[in-house]
Amino acid sequence: MAQVKTNSSGYPLYPPKPEGIKGQQKLVSAILTFAFLAALPWLPILGWLTIFDTGTNYGLGNLAFVFAYAAAGVGFNFLIGYSGTLGLAHAGLFAIGAYGTAILSAPPECLEETCETIIRPAVAGYGWPFLLTIPLVCIFASLVGVVVGFPAARLKGFYLAIATLALGELIVKLISLDEKIWSGLKTNGGTGKQVPIFEFFGSGQLKSAYFLSLGALLITFVGYVIYTENRLGRTLKSVRDIEIATGPLGISSTYYKLIAFGLSGFAAALAGAAWSQNSAFVNPSSFKTRLLVFLLVVLILGGTGKLWGPLIGAIIFVYIRQEFQDSQKLLFFLIGIALMLAILILPKGVASLPDRFRDSRWAQDLRRRLKTVKI
Amino acid sequence: MNSASTTAPLSLDDLHVSFGGNRVLEGVNIDFVPGFNGLIGPNGAGKTTIFNVLSGYVKATRGGAFLDGKDLSDLKPTDRVSNGISRTFQSPKLILDATVLENVLLGMHRKFRHGHVTELFRLPNQRREEDQAREVCIDMLEEFGLAEDAHKETGDLSLGSQKIVEVCRALVAEPKVLLLDEPAAGLGANDVTILLKGLRKFVQEKNLCLVIIEHDLELVTALCPIIYVLHFGRIISEGSAEAITTDPAVIEAYLGKGYAQDNEKDQGDSSAI
Repeated sequence: MAQVKTNSSGYPLYPPKPEGIKGQQKLVSAILTFAFLAALPWLPILGWLTIFDTGTNYGLGNLAFVFAYAAAGVGFNFLIGYSGTLGLAHAGLFAIGAYGTAILSAPPECLEETCETIIRPAVAGYGWPFLLTIPLVCIFASLVGVVVGFPAARLKGFYLAIATLALGELIVKLISLDEKIWSGLKTNGGTGKQVPIFEFFGSGQLKSAYFLSLGALLITFVGYVIYTENRLGRTLKSVRDIEIATGPLGISSTYYKLIAFGLSGFAAALAGAAWSQNSAFVNPSSFKTRLLVFLLVVLILGGTGKLWGPLIGAIIFVYIRQEFQDSQKLLFFLIGIALMLAILILPKGVASLPDRFRDSRWAQDLRRRLKTVKI
Repeated sequence: MNSASTTAPLSLDDLHVSFGGNRVLEGVNIDFVPGFNGLIGPNGAGKTTIFNVLSGYVKATRGGAFLDGKDLSDLKPTDRVSNGISRTFQSPKLILDATVLENVLLGMHRKFRHGHVTELFRLPNQRREEDQAREVCIDMLEEFGLAEDAHKETGDLSLGSQKIVEVCRALVAEPKVLLLDEPAAGLGANDVTILLKGLRKFVQEKNLCLVIIEHDLELVTALCPIIYVLHFGRIISEGSAEAITTDPAVIEAYLGKGYAQDNEKDQGDSSAI
């Protein structure tokens, strides 16, 4: 380990960390968690939880959905939890990722007799390599995110929420109207589109989708950790907490809000791409306001401004959704109740439970007693 | 106090500001010189409005402010700090759930050469730059006796310490002109001593032009060789501490008749407010 950096009189430049493994607690726990999740398809130890039993296709798919929603939630967290900007175009940006990778990687249209297989316009695309389309689509979605974010320069709170909500819906509308706008969009209108399946070394659709989703979650996690612990993180916090003072500090709050929109768009598209591989079919109605509400539930239930919040929220959300998939009305009722309870009892989400416990009078009392016992 | 050049780095020229029909500043002419400049006056006199014009929150309706002869209204509010104007606020504007050091680092925002893409990949140059910036900020905190608290959450500090953190944040930007809005309000005697010691050092070493809005008359008179008294948007008196405290117009408008009588009794020992 590198020596602790200090100034000339010996004051440390970075917050002091405990020695050895304890100082790396965060990193170690993250590596262990991701290693565990990566091994799960071969270790179906969640069998007792039928919904997440990775021994079955059903459980594997559900976990892949969890990761995709969590990745989108991490991006949403960046925008809402960190920069404090209530932008609600996330479902539209998610749709760009799902549709964008599907269309760009689908084989080109071919109706002649000479074709090896006949490819009808409904499933046709541009035939680009799938792994190349992901970064391109994500960058495109960040640019769209920045454009959607422009109202943020002038609007605040509810007004911003409504403006971005409308722009997000507009994206979904454009997808379902493709023939009337530009046939090159190839979104196949409102009927939906088959997603060409990508497989890692012939490991099968579900395992590939699982690892794509886990990869998307890992990328958003790493990006989130690096950015929130460095200069961008503190600058975004200043935009959230002391926007009035940013001008004299030389910080352009508009510029940083747009950065937050761009990054959240990137994460949303990445998650959307992984999600579409798992669901194998995309339809405009999957990306309407309902998806936005789902993503908000994932974020708020899990905990805004917390790294692990979206993952916890996504696990709870997918569990409830699968458990009550037969009765949609009951599902929405339960999600509504869960959201209300979270806001009333745990405003910072389930991820804040350990902090709540640590700061509770009961735990403080316990710690004090344990101390006296030792002496 | 110091042998500074007499050219004024910051001057207000016939500055008028009105909000609707409410005239807040009516033709203020001041040449702020390097060293301590006091700005006093009753509540609502327009002191903070002058600062707000300088940092770009408010536009002048007539006249303007000039930094080294350059019209400030040509500069975007976000570009003013790199041209040498820093400020603090009446109530500290700090991120309470960030560390003290992170708050001070915000003051160096414009000093960073590396962008946020290099930050994502943690390139060595970028990390070195962050280290250097942190060192500058720690040194600054040490100057004001807060280096011990650098990694504490800002919200855990007393209001007085928070105000000093804000001064540090303004100073790490290496300003030519520093605007302090009631820096001593809410500070204990000990904090005031530390604050003034640090500020004096910067004024002497860096030839800093410091403008202080303050209600603690004792402090202002002890600190500032030149004081401007603002009343209803006009400068009613300017000069040395002695000149303004004996000026009948100032006594009438701001100090109150009691001040003059108290002064005769016990040589200005009592609190002016």
